[in-house]
Amino acid sequence: MSHASQGVRLRIGARWPGTLLVLLAITLLLSGRDSSAQKENSEPPVRIPSDVAWTEETLTIISRGDAFRGLLLARRCNHCHGEEGFSSVPGFPNLAGEDRLSFWKQMQDFRSGKRTSPVMQGIAEGFSARDAADLAAYYAMLPTASDPQDNRSFPQSMSDSARASMAIRLIVFGDGQRGIPPCQSCHGPVSYVKGAPPLATQNGAYLEEQLEHFSNGDRANDINVRMRSIARQLTAEEKTAVSEYYGAGHGPGVNSR
Amino acid sequence: MKKKIGFAVAMVLVGLALLSTRYYMVDLPVWHFFGGGKGPDPVTLHLQGEFVESNLGAAEEPAGSLTVRMIAQQFVFVPQCIVVPAGVPITFRITSADAVHKLSFLGTNYGLEAVPGVVTEETFTFAKAGEFKIPCHEFCGAGHYAMRGHLKVVPRDQFASLLPGERRTCEPR
Repeated sequence: MSHASQGVRLRIGARWPGTLLVLLAITLLLSGRDSSAQKENSEPPVRIPSDVAWTEETLTIISRGDAFRGLLLARRCNHCHGEEGFSSVPGFPNLAGEDRLSFWKQMQDFRSGKRTSPVMQGIAEGFSARDAADLAAYYAMLPTASDPQDNRSFPQSMSDSARASMAIRLIVFGDGQRGIPPCQSCHGPVSYVKGAPPLATQNGAYLEEQLEHFSNGDRANDINVRMRSIARQLTAEEKTAVSEYYGAGHGPGVNSR
Repeated sequence: MKKKIGFAVAMVLVGLALLSTRYYMVDLPVWHFFGGGKGPDPVTLHLQGEFVESNLGAAEEPAGSLTVRMIAQQFVFVPQCIVVPAGVPITFRITSADAVHKLSFLGTNYGLEAVPGVVTEETFTFAKAGEFKIPCHEFCGAGHYAMRGHLKVVPRDQFASLLPGERRTCEPR
C-alpha cells in the first residue's frame, strides 16, 4: 500500500515542472496579447464620477440608518450646519429635511475624494458608511419649519426681485428649446429622482456656488453627467436667479414635506 | 370539458395580447425581457463598461466607421449635443439609466428607442449638414416635455479637425 501511494506521489511530482512551464507559457501569451491590445486603441482614460450606484445593497445600507445614533453623531456637524440643521452662514448647506440618498452619496464622495472640499473631506473620513446612513436618517427627520429662536441664515431676500419671474420659469417649466428640464421635476415637489436633494429650504449662496462648480467642472460627482449637462447651459444670471429664489424660501415644496 | 378547453384557449389569447402590447410599447422583441442580465445594468452605467462618461460621444472605430454612444436619462440626454459628419454611416449605441425614452431626430424619419438594460444599436446616414433637435418622444416623467438633445451634422472635412483622438461632442466646455 505504502509503495503504491509513494509511486503516485512521485509521478505527480515528476509532472510539476512540465505543468509549470505550460502555465508560464499561457501567462506570457495572455500578457503579450493584453499589452498589444492596449497599444492599438488609443482609448481615453476612464473617468468614474462617483463610486456610489443605486444598487439594492446601497439602498439597504441607507435604509438601515438609525436616527438616534445619527443624533449623537450630529454633534460634530452642529457647529457649521446648525443645531436644527440650518446653518448660520449662507455658504454652508442646510441639512434639515435632507434627502437620505443624496446625503449618504455626498458623504461617500467626500470620503473617496470624488467631491472635493478642504473642510468636508477631512470630516467625512471620520464617518463610516453606517455612520453616514445614521446621520442621513437623523437629518431627514428634522423639520424644515421656520423657527425665530434659531440663529439661521436661511430666508435671505432676493437681491433683485425682477429675477423672480426668470427663476419661476426655470423651476416650473425649464427651457424646452435648450433642453433644460424644470428643477422641480427632479428636486421635488412634482417628482423626485434618486440622489437629487430637495431645494426648497436650501441656502441661496450655497446653491449658486454649486451650480457654478457644476458648470465649470470643479464639481463632477453627478452620476451620468446629469447636473453638469444642465448647469452648463444656464447663464450666470439664471444661476443667480434660481439660487436666490430658492434661498429666499419661495421655492415650491416648503410646506409639502 | 369543452368549457375548460375554451377557457384555457381564452387565457392563452389574453396572455399573447399582453405580450404583444408590451412588444408594441417598447418596440423590442419580447424575448429581450427574458434574457436575464445580458445588457448593461442601468444603475451602474457610470462604473464600468462602454457607457462610462469618458466614453460617451462620437468615437472613431479602427475600421474608419463612427460610433456615437449616448445615455438617455430623466430628463437629459448625455451628451446633450452630439456632432457627426455628413454622408457617413453612423452607428448609434444608446441605453437608458431609468425609464424608457425615445429619440426622434426632428426633420428626418430616424428614431431610436432607449430602454433600461438594453443597448439599442442603429445605423443612420445624414446626407446634408445641418442642425437637428432630438426631443424625447416617449413619456418618461415630469420633465419629459423639456427633455431635448441637439445633433449637429457638419461637413466631413470640418469634422476631422474637431479634437482628433477624443470622444467628440459639441457640449459647451
